[in-house]
Amino acid sequence: MTDPTPHHDGAATAGARPAEVAIRDLTVVYRTEHGDLPAVSHASLELRAGEITGLVGESGSGKSTLALSLLNAVPAPGRITSGSVEVAGVGDVTRLTGRRLRRARGGALGYVFQASQNSLNPLKTVGKQLLDLGRSHEVEDLRALVRRARELCERMGLDADRVLDSYQHELSGGMRQRVGIVLALVLNAEVLVLDEPTTALDMISQAAVLDIVRSVHRENGLATLVVTHDMGVVSEIADRLAVMYGGRIVEHGPAGELLRRPSHPYTRALIGATARIVGDTRLARALPGQPPDLTTLARRGCVFRDRCPLAMPVCEESDPALSEWTPGRFRACHADPVGRAPAPAAVPAPRAQDDPTGGRP
Amino acid sequence: MIEARNITRTYTGRGAFTGTRTVHALRGVDFTLPRGGAVSFIGESGCGKTTLGKILTGLESFDGGELLVDGTDLSKLSARRRAPYFRRIQLIHQDPYSALNPTRDVGQILGDPLRMRARETGATRTQQRERAAELLELVGLRPGTLAKYPHQLSGGQRQRVVIARALTVDPEALVADESVSMIDVSMRLGVLSLLRDLRERLGISLLFITHDVATARYLGEGGELHVIYRGQVIERGPTDSVVQQPVHPYTQCLLSAVPVLRGLEEPGPDRLVPLAALDERVATPGCLFAPRCPFATDGCADGRPGLTALPADGAHRHACLHPRARRVVATEAAAVH
Ligand SMILES: Nc1ncnc2c1ncn2[C@@H]1O[C@H](COP(=O)(O)OP(=O)(O)O)[C@@H](O)[C@H]1O
Ligand SMILES: Nc1ncnc2c1ncn2[C@@H]1O[C@H](COP(=O)(O)OP(=O)(O)O)[C@@H](O)[C@H]1O
Ligand code: SF4
Ligand SMILES: [Mg+2]
Ligand SMILES: [Mg+2]
Repeated sequence: MTDPTPHHDGAATAGARPAEVAIRDLTVVYRTEHGDLPAVSHASLELRAGEITGLVGESGSGKSTLALSLLNAVPAPGRITSGSVEVAGVGDVTRLTGRRLRRARGGALGYVFQASQNSLNPLKTVGKQLLDLGRSHEVEDLRALVRRARELCERMGLDADRVLDSYQHELSGGMRQRVGIVLALVLNAEVLVLDEPTTALDMISQAAVLDIVRSVHRENGLATLVVTHDMGVVSEIADRLAVMYGGRIVEHGPAGELLRRPSHPYTRALIGATARIVGDTRLARALPGQPPDLTTLARRGCVFRDRCPLAMPVCEESDPALSEWTPGRFRACHADPVGRAPAPAAVPAPRAQDDPTGGRP
Repeated sequence: MIEARNITRTYTGRGAFTGTRTVHALRGVDFTLPRGGAVSFIGESGCGKTTLGKILTGLESFDGGELLVDGTDLSKLSARRRAPYFRRIQLIHQDPYSALNPTRDVGQILGDPLRMRARETGATRTQQRERAAELLELVGLRPGTLAKYPHQLSGGQRQRVVIARALTVDPEALVADESVSMIDVSMRLGVLSLLRDLRERLGISLLFITHDVATARYLGEGGELHVIYRGQVIERGPTDSVVQQPVHPYTQCLLSAVPVLRGLEEPGPDRLVPLAALDERVATPGCLFAPRCPFATDGCADGRPGLTALPADGAHRHACLHPRARRVVATEAAAVH
């Protein structure tokens, strides 16, 4: 890897930088047959230039919904009901409409969508799509745009001529993901959001894509958000981690510290469920139960309590607030922060409950 | 027991732009899968893993070599005589979303093959129903799941249903092709430990196919690991020995690609940089990996190395002209309190 050591220490110095993106108290609901149900509840998160933030949690945690809010692009029947997303030089994205919103999307904010391996237009070459993107953003100098795209391609180890003349089906999964990054950055975005950038890739392509993300992030001084369900992926490249469950950010802080000493029981469980190439395989285990969906999500108390090995009576009653328990580290949990409980790997879980149907009545 | 001897499979495709091209999907694969044993194949996309899984389960033909089930060479049998052998080897697909018919509930999904199987075993209706309930319990699902439709289940639960369905015909071996790569990381270990349990408690043999070394390590413990590159096995041996002391540069690249859990693990000091994309069209008379190998010398392009045993461990073999131990695997970080 170019330099496999991420700047975990960067988090401390970056505190001085202004946030490139500040999400405050964001709530997003989807209209369902049971009424408006929140997929993101009162989430706050800052992205800073020079920092890669990892947003991690199981499927259904609300990660994509939160990430799409950065573009004010939550699809119907979803809607932002409270909070703001301030982007430097753009303003509160949740209040933008029409032309100004379109300019921000793909302009200041580069976004690589989940399953973007399949999101290129199958009927147009990559080059044609690049020109469309330029025109929709009223770029005057299309030649300069193509030049910049070529540069980006080259930096990512892509043969620019071949790629610009290719249709989606002529490119491998890893190449499509790189093309997605080229298109996200070609308009000089300062913020880069990647939703599950490596989920459909094999390990070798994954390592190559992560390496590329890391190097364009550094070279361009971006504020980068990587969204994934895979703890391994964020631990490989993120400087900071935000852990999401049931629409809440339940823990965040510097990545190295958070992995070494996870404080929320959910974070511990996620780490303990990651298959590793070192250590005793018999200690690792899947999370018990199922992640909640909008309808099974607890309305009162802690969202994680049904799957939590440390749940206490107070967890049924009150929703723990996200608070700073030690400088720079935040968690939303009623239990003791340093966890007298055994490490996640040692928590016994009965086999039949590894994956029970429903998980809840 | 299943034995594969020198299995080859070549595809000749005709692309609109590329003209005729030949893909050597398998170039002479050998392995022995004993009763209750585990053999894993790892390699990146396009290396021939799925082709191998399909051949073993009778879904794809092969053009050279022998496939023996308990000593009977299947390539010598007619398709009709082969069928009962392939019943004993069941495939678990990669995609639990498309593997199940969305219009049928789990009871029907298990009931159909159980009824077919009953023609041979003579099981009564009641016995079939009992067996369905038993299988659900075996794969860790609640009895209530029988009435559910696939869309009401998570990825991990669907994969358990797929496994239960494979078990309806009482197989002796399961071929699991990327069986957990499409489900959430948090649920993968549950499915992996189920497969491991089936092997340890019921003596079902397991052929596990994946691009992810870490999951192969979970299932392949105590078994044999084969690293496959463009259809050729380039390193093989006891799982632990190949994972902990790889000597082939390709294996070392695969292991280097496994994310390091910072804080808990330290990256190996010899960790290699990510490889550029695989191009199957590159033809070479020499080592297949030479065009991408960080350590290739001029000699590597001349002759193709075959498998050679390591002097220290006869069971650990490699196909490299310059085998060398490198510390590419992460180690556990010192404990913190
Ligand atoms: N268009 C939609 N309509 C209704 N519910 C939705 C929609 N999109 C997502 N959801 C629900 O919102 C929750 C969060 O989804 P999502 O943001 O996609 O999570 P993640 O990206 O973490 O998997 C899930 O329970 C999901 O089912
Ligand atoms: N039916 C087919 N026709 C032509 N080529 C094929 C066919 N199936 C697989 N291949 C080729 O064989 C090689 C191995 O494919 P596969 O077994 O699917 O690999 P893996 O599962 O390791 O990704 C690839 O180059 C693939 O393109
Ligand atoms: S034989 Fe040569 S090219 Fe092949 S892997 Fe070994 S060093 Fe590399
Ligand atoms: Mg998502
Ligand atoms: Mg495959």
